[in-house]
Amino acid sequence: MSTATLDTQTGSRLLANAAASKPRWERAVPVYGFPVVNRFFVALLAMTGLAFVLTGYRELAGLGPVSGMNDAYGWGIWKTFNVMVLTGLGSGAFAVGIAPWVFRRKRLHALMRMALLTSFLAYACGLLLLGIDAGRPWNFYWIVFPWKWNMHSPLAEVAICMSIYATIPLAIENIPPVLERLWYFDSRLRPGVEKFERRLHYFFPWIIAAAYLLPGMHQSSLGALMLLAGERVHPLWQSPWLPLLYLGAASFMSFGCVAGATMLCCVMWKRAMDMEILDEAARITAWLIFGWLGLRLLDIVFRGALGTAFHADRFAGVFWLETFLIAGGGWMLWRSLRTHKTQTMFLGYVLSSLGGMIYRFSPTTLAFRPNPESLYFPTTIEILVSFGFICMGVAGFLLVVKRFGILPAPLQEWHNMAAYFRFRRPYIRWTGYFEHGFFSDDELEREQQLELTDSD
Amino acid sequence: MAITRRELFVSIGKAGIPAAVALTVGAETLQAETIPIPSAAVGLLYDASICIGCKACVAACAEANDTPPDTRGDQLHQAPSDLNDLTRNVIKLYKPEDGSAFSYVKRQCMHCLDPACAAGCPFQALHKDPESGIVKWDSDKCIGCRYCTITCPYHVPRFQWMGFNPRVTKCELCSPRLEKGLQPGCTSVCPTGAVIFGPRTVLLSEAHSRIKKEPGRYYQGRVYGEKDNGGTQSLYLSRVAFEKLGLPELGPESVPARTLRWQRRLYQYFALPAVLYVSLVQVIRKSLKGHEQEAHEHEKETGLRAQL
Ligand code: SF4
Ligand code: SF4
Ligand code: SF4
Repeated sequence: MSTATLDTQTGSRLLANAAASKPRWERAVPVYGFPVVNRFFVALLAMTGLAFVLTGYRELAGLGPVSGMNDAYGWGIWKTFNVMVLTGLGSGAFAVGIAPWVFRRKRLHALMRMALLTSFLAYACGLLLLGIDAGRPWNFYWIVFPWKWNMHSPLAEVAICMSIYATIPLAIENIPPVLERLWYFDSRLRPGVEKFERRLHYFFPWIIAAAYLLPGMHQSSLGALMLLAGERVHPLWQSPWLPLLYLGAASFMSFGCVAGATMLCCVMWKRAMDMEILDEAARITAWLIFGWLGLRLLDIVFRGALGTAFHADRFAGVFWLETFLIAGGGWMLWRSLRTHKTQTMFLGYVLSSLGGMIYRFSPTTLAFRPNPESLYFPTTIEILVSFGFICMGVAGFLLVVKRFGILPAPLQEWHNMAAYFRFRRPYIRWTGYFEHGFFSDDELEREQQLELTDSD
Repeated sequence: MAITRRELFVSIGKAGIPAAVALTVGAETLQAETIPIPSAAVGLLYDASICIGCKACVAACAEANDTPPDTRGDQLHQAPSDLNDLTRNVIKLYKPEDGSAFSYVKRQCMHCLDPACAAGCPFQALHKDPESGIVKWDSDKCIGCRYCTITCPYHVPRFQWMGFNPRVTKCELCSPRLEKGLQPGCTSVCPTGAVIFGPRTVLLSEAHSRIKKEPGRYYQGRVYGEKDNGGTQSLYLSRVAFEKLGLPELGPESVPARTLRWQRRLYQYFALPAVLYVSLVQVIRKSLKGHEQEAHEHEKETGLRAQL
């Protein structure tokens, strides 16, 4: 009796704390109370299905009939957008992860699960499209014979490193939310889960370290891809620093993607935002952006390519567009630290990520000058497939955040969720949970009434 | 806990000792970035000033490689406008508007001494034969990524856009014919001797003797491919500027050596990534300990299972 009341007291004290002070993200809580399948979700699935059907057609007909690629532009948006741009946007597991684990920005642990999930989905969809885009994908089996790799080829580096990263370290990093769900699902699973967890934690440093080394390598190698194209990439972009600039762009873009997506989710599902954590993320992103812009401008000036930025052509236009987007986004993030306006912060993330996306898209497409001059514009089928795979990622995201503890929330949210599911999903084993006195507001009263009747 | 730069440097230093050793051992290969010329390098010498544009070589090339003639232009003549999935060898005409000197040019693979296509090809489908120096394509290793169509500075390899089993097409110097002791298709039919086949050294001295015989006849009095792009095995003589014929001025250093220098050094023997990896593990191990401890304190405080 005494422990129970004590815990009840602790519980209600915590409730009071959470209500009174600024909201703090303390726990990842599934988005409960919203159905997974709604009209939007069905539309996403339909687009994904369509993409798969078109993919089947592509495999039979070849790349020519379905895409706008030609002898001059050997690469279309499947590679240049879905792989080179979107995996940059989805490098959250690298950039957001390295901040707390290596640089000990501990607050950012709260965003970790979001980062890991978005990365995994972006990489999975990117890799699938990489396989579809390859003309002779069956020869990928050489990947298991390391002595056949061309170690100095940036493309080999990208293809091999990316597949290893997504299937091993990144996938393993995403296991804890799954284990957590199993742990709560059935108390009979708990000993097994706990044993597995202990083993996992033992290997964690090696796995996490690989999860930073590998993306560091392939995100920079994505930039190195275009080095071999030499003069055909416009001088505003072609630079020996391309690998580093690509990596830097991936860093601030993915911060934007993770923090921005988290903010969006909070608005959509009416969750409290922890401004301390968001401020910290915005500060890091702003610094990353300013550092990156500095490096980029210095590089252009020292290579003597600045003059070309003032020609009246499409290249200069693209250059200024991306520069203004990134700089404007960085400035807005910086301002939001003072004004504490979440709208400014969100817009800052969107603009800077958009600029970064254009930057990573340019060398292969917008700033690529094939010889002989020719044009590339993606066909409808190409766009539908590319879009379908993005839809697949979004659908996966919606499904997972509603079923697993991914999105950070105040502690109160967890108690509310447990109370919500207590009768709706009685098979979830909240063993000991309610005996120890965690109740939502209305349940507290009911329990007290029950106790009263019991003692009678 | 403060930011741990010092700790990071210390752990990098610790791991760096074996790595430094590895790098010193590797220094020899680092320096040996000069390109070896294959012992029995063979190639073509094309003299644009003799070529009459009869295109016999184009037809012979298709025949030698068992490809159907590319009549997609007018459904009648074999008249490919450029290299493509059916055309390994093409004759193009450079004719300036102002009526100054025109020239034909024969385009096919240059068989670079340091081929950019092979440098980028992920599983060595495109590879340089160590003896003959011919750059060959291996259908069993090509994944169809089309990176070669982007990396080759001469825009030679072409991808087959139709069908479920696409191939990469480029001149392989008629290797099967060479094995049988025959000449490549194009040189065996050329009526004027504009294109000839032979060991690279012989071709080079022949080219130089032509230049010596008629000084001033050839553009800049030099052979394209002797030094350009690190040297190529297809050599060119021409009256008009090489650039106009689609042979860009790339400088004496090969494209891969110039552009991938740092990429290659950073990944040399995987030494640097290994150092980074080991030091990352050290730092993360410490972070994990701190994080676990905090998570467990939080667990006690809230009574909820820790989320790592
Ligand atoms: S010309 Fe192009 S295809 Fe031929 S060897 Fe050189 S890089 Fe390769
Ligand atoms: S398309 Fe084939 S030959 Fe060309 S780079 Fe890719 S794997 Fe190599
Ligand atoms: S066969 Fe000889 S002369 Fe005729 S087009 Fe070819 S290279 Fe020129």
